[in-house]
Amino acid sequence: MSAPLRVIGVSFLNARPLVAPLQADPPCGPGGEPLFTVTEAMPSACAQALANGECDVALVPVATLLDHPEWEVVPDVAIACRGAVETVVVAAKRPLEALTRILIDDASRSSALLLRVLLAERGLSPVLEIVPHGAGAQRVSGETGALIIGDAAFGLGDRFAHTLDLGAAWFDATGLPMVFAVWAARPGCLGPEHLEALQAAKDRGLRQIETYAREYAARPEATLAESHYATYLRRTIRHGLDAYEREGLVEYLSRARAVLGLDAGGDDDGAHVRFADAGYAPLRRSTGAASLGTCAQILARAQAGERISLREGLRLYDEADVLDLGAVADARRAALHPEGVVTYIVDRNVNYTNVCTARCKFCNFYTPPGGRGGYVLSREVLAEKFRETEALGGVQILLQGGLNPELGLSWYEDLFRWTKANFSLRLHALSPTEVIHLADLEQIPIREVLVRLRAAGMDSLPGGGAELLSDEIRNRISPFKNTTDEWLDVMRQAHMLGMKTTCTMVFGFQETGDHVLTHFDRLRTLQDESLARDNGGCFTAFITWPFQADGTRLKLRDDTSAWRYLRLQALARLYLDNIPNIQVSWPTLGPEIGEVGLRFGANDFGSVMIEENVVSQAGAHFMLTAEQIEHHIRQAGFVPARRNMQYELLGTPEVAVGARA
Amino acid sequence: MIRTDARLLEIERKLDDRTPLSFDDGMFLYRFGDLCALGSLANGVRERMHGDRTYFNINFHINATNVCHADCKFCSFARLEPGMPQAYTMSLDQIRGKLAERRDQAVTEVHIVNGLHPGLPWSYYLDTLRVLKAERPEIHLKAYTAVEIHDFATRHGKSYETILRELVDAGLGSLPGGGAEIFADRVRRKICRDKATGDQWLDVHRTAHRLGLRSNCTMLYGTIETLEERVDHMLQLRALQAETGGFQTFIPLSFHPDGNDLGKLPPPTGMDDLRTYAVARLMVDNIPHIKAYWIMLGIKTAQIAQSFGADDIDGTVQEEKIYHMAGADTPQALARVDLVRLIREAGRHAVERDTLYNVLWEDDGAPLPGIRLDSSVPYSAGGKRHLPIAEQPAASVRLQGGAR
Repeated sequence: MSAPLRVIGVSFLNARPLVAPLQADPPCGPGGEPLFTVTEAMPSACAQALANGECDVALVPVATLLDHPEWEVVPDVAIACRGAVETVVVAAKRPLEALTRILIDDASRSSALLLRVLLAERGLSPVLEIVPHGAGAQRVSGETGALIIGDAAFGLGDRFAHTLDLGAAWFDATGLPMVFAVWAARPGCLGPEHLEALQAAKDRGLRQIETYAREYAARPEATLAESHYATYLRRTIRHGLDAYEREGLVEYLSRARAVLGLDAGGDDDGAHVRFADAGYAPLRRSTGAASLGTCAQILARAQAGERISLREGLRLYDEADVLDLGAVADARRAALHPEGVVTYIVDRNVNYTNVCTARCKFCNFYTPPGGRGGYVLSREVLAEKFRETEALGGVQILLQGGLNPELGLSWYEDLFRWTKANFSLRLHALSPTEVIHLADLEQIPIREVLVRLRAAGMDSLPGGGAELLSDEIRNRISPFKNTTDEWLDVMRQAHMLGMKTTCTMVFGFQETGDHVLTHFDRLRTLQDESLARDNGGCFTAFITWPFQADGTRLKLRDDTSAWRYLRLQALARLYLDNIPNIQVSWPTLGPEIGEVGLRFGANDFGSVMIEENVVSQAGAHFMLTAEQIEHHIRQAGFVPARRNMQYELLGTPEVAVGARA
Repeated sequence: MIRTDARLLEIERKLDDRTPLSFDDGMFLYRFGDLCALGSLANGVRERMHGDRTYFNINFHINATNVCHADCKFCSFARLEPGMPQAYTMSLDQIRGKLAERRDQAVTEVHIVNGLHPGLPWSYYLDTLRVLKAERPEIHLKAYTAVEIHDFATRHGKSYETILRELVDAGLGSLPGGGAEIFADRVRRKICRDKATGDQWLDVHRTAHRLGLRSNCTMLYGTIETLEERVDHMLQLRALQAETGGFQTFIPLSFHPDGNDLGKLPPPTGMDDLRTYAVARLMVDNIPHIKAYWIMLGIKTAQIAQSFGADDIDGTVQEEKIYHMAGADTPQALARVDLVRLIREAGRHAVERDTLYNVLWEDDGAPLPGIRLDSSVPYSAGGKRHLPIAEQPAASVRLQGGAR
């Protein structure tokens, strides 16, 4: 039994929903032992205590993450705002531009740094003087203003002629939320039970907002009505940390680094946050269960079409001979697709913008907003590409792009309507990551984004942005992009609407068997759920490929060999027993391995890619015509046939002379 | 994996009994649909002979001239006459310079293959070997294909034996396996009518083996030959090996169509490559090694081939010209660390050899720069490590003449 973790929370009102439940109803471990001991302090003191080892977990200002990239951040919990925050305010008698000195409250480094970022963008350089918490307001005079934070800032608008709400100013400058504080822990001390307890405490706290508002309004220093505090806690402050907040967090950390002159450039990772990860619960539960068959037994069961368990999948991952895996995957492929036909599609990959806020370390395609070389394709360029696609017999556009804060939902709706009005092309458009971005940008539910896009002409969703569906890996390679749950939720919503989607996995991020099998299991579980609905919404295909590292910021090295690809693809064919089609990824591996992949579980040769921009920026350079693709399919002993995204054959495949399926 | 095909089971029994496979067996295997089952069979033989070792060596190539009086349809390298665009012939100083500039590299072998130059004096070829030996006496010279030896003999009125003896005196260490193409006359008449016939090629190697020289052998596939002609080619090699025991390594070579007269043929395919490696391993059971020439196959296919019968991936080849003029887009040289990585990723145990397969270095699994993989990690091709070698193929090679 381990000792309780020492936790320091912040004493401000906005932290009450996160901290108070830990005190009122202390969470306990499985043996009834308390998980935490809790005290309170000012934000900057919290960070200091964590840095000094005086506590294990603390609610820290996010700016301190710049000094402590090793700290593990609790996912899904934060103190943030989207727009005005009310309690981080510059108060003055004159406008900001007229101030020669600003007194800075020493309680939070994040707010001070935020002010510096905003001043730098306005080209202002007043003297900044650090003063003790709460001392600034009394000294405001003439050309001297004060940055006032925390509860002391309530109601300042009534007392000063000029106030600048930094949450609002940040939102105006970036269109993004501002994250002020997060739970951070010394590395290695948070277990799954701690993460669950801290997240559950937040959920409980959010149900107690009226209580906290009433308690606060009863304090002698409170000057406002109880209802004001309740609204502040419920609407102004956001206590979650979803993809949109993470976008804001990375933008803040990047700009803060620039202001501090920390931007060394090159390979240095400008903004790093390390999220703690509880792991995949079914995987944790599966250890120590009943006896497991040998590889041969598991393969025999898989060959007979039986479902294999998570632990059986892990055994195959660890121990199975790759040729045995391939042979069984080939047998499963033959059972699922006995016609001896291998399909492919003629479509064009159009990347409508490269501007992206996600800053994924594995990507060599994006340009951050405002960066050089950012583009959004014009209608003229798109029309040209679409016309060419039709001329080449293409039936579909695979439309994906960056998370561009300039492009709202109506831009996409207009684009899709225009496409449908002028071309006879299907739109396989927008990965879940882009859909989440649009929902955040428009502040509407995922489902509404999908409904509107679909009404405008979206036919299906590509499975990009999944990378590895393990938050431990995602937190390492793309900490500011959507989480596993968020990605799956978009697919779930799309399937609920009856839409077809694909799913993917990118490997080569130093993932283990646990990560890979977790990825497979989450896809299989969701597919079970979707198929049970029987409304046509489901995954049609799975595609995996190795991470292409050239020119990206991710310097890790891993096994991205063709062997690993074939092994993982064969394993996917066995594990994903409810996903009908598997595509080879010849653009990353070359057509020769693509051919071989058709004997390792795949039944589809993917796309005659008329254009590809993303992996080709990172070292993959293969182009094939339809004629060449058909040649490779025949070499593997199959009859080639064209299809659409729904895997309906277009035309009749040639008579299967000599096909050896 | 449960094998159910009766014919395949019969072949498996033959392999277990060490019974050589028949021509019909070879044709059945070539046409058998289950790629992984074919690979498993070949891999079984490969691991019986070599465990999980994959050999490599550190060598470089010299192609001293591309002037060639033979007009082979599959070749993008040869320029027929001196003075034609891109035609070149190195001086002896240039040849020496190729080795001298590698003074700091642990090269153990020079691989020398040239065009059939109509005008160079016999002494040029002897001197080539002499200047290299003078520069670096310990280096092994694997030089001149049987086609060149036949050409020397014809032009200078000497027997194969005399030619070979003079070359050995000048420093020749062994013969490369090139020029075999496909032995069938039908094919040779169409794609390489100007050079040694299949019988002549085999006779040069027979003579070399009698003199105590080791040699390699090749097969060029993917031009106009039939599967029957490939299997026949393999059986002819197996027959000569049964007679002499002098071949070390069989190297199937895939045809690359760019820049030559057969450019209309389809490019090589991964499936055909792997089938050919597997069938080669299974049919030619008496030649110890099967080499997957990575520079031709590409790195990815070369990795896969290590579980389809191949146990050798050649070396850190530098200055390869012949395949690159035919469109091979592999990097021109792999550093030693890259070769080890390539082998580790294929789940194999890297062994550096010299030309005669003496072990110079074995992978100890130590971390290498930029490589996460070490031998404690079971990797893609399965967790196999340091498999025992069931039989010692090299010991079965009987040399009749004895080395001079």
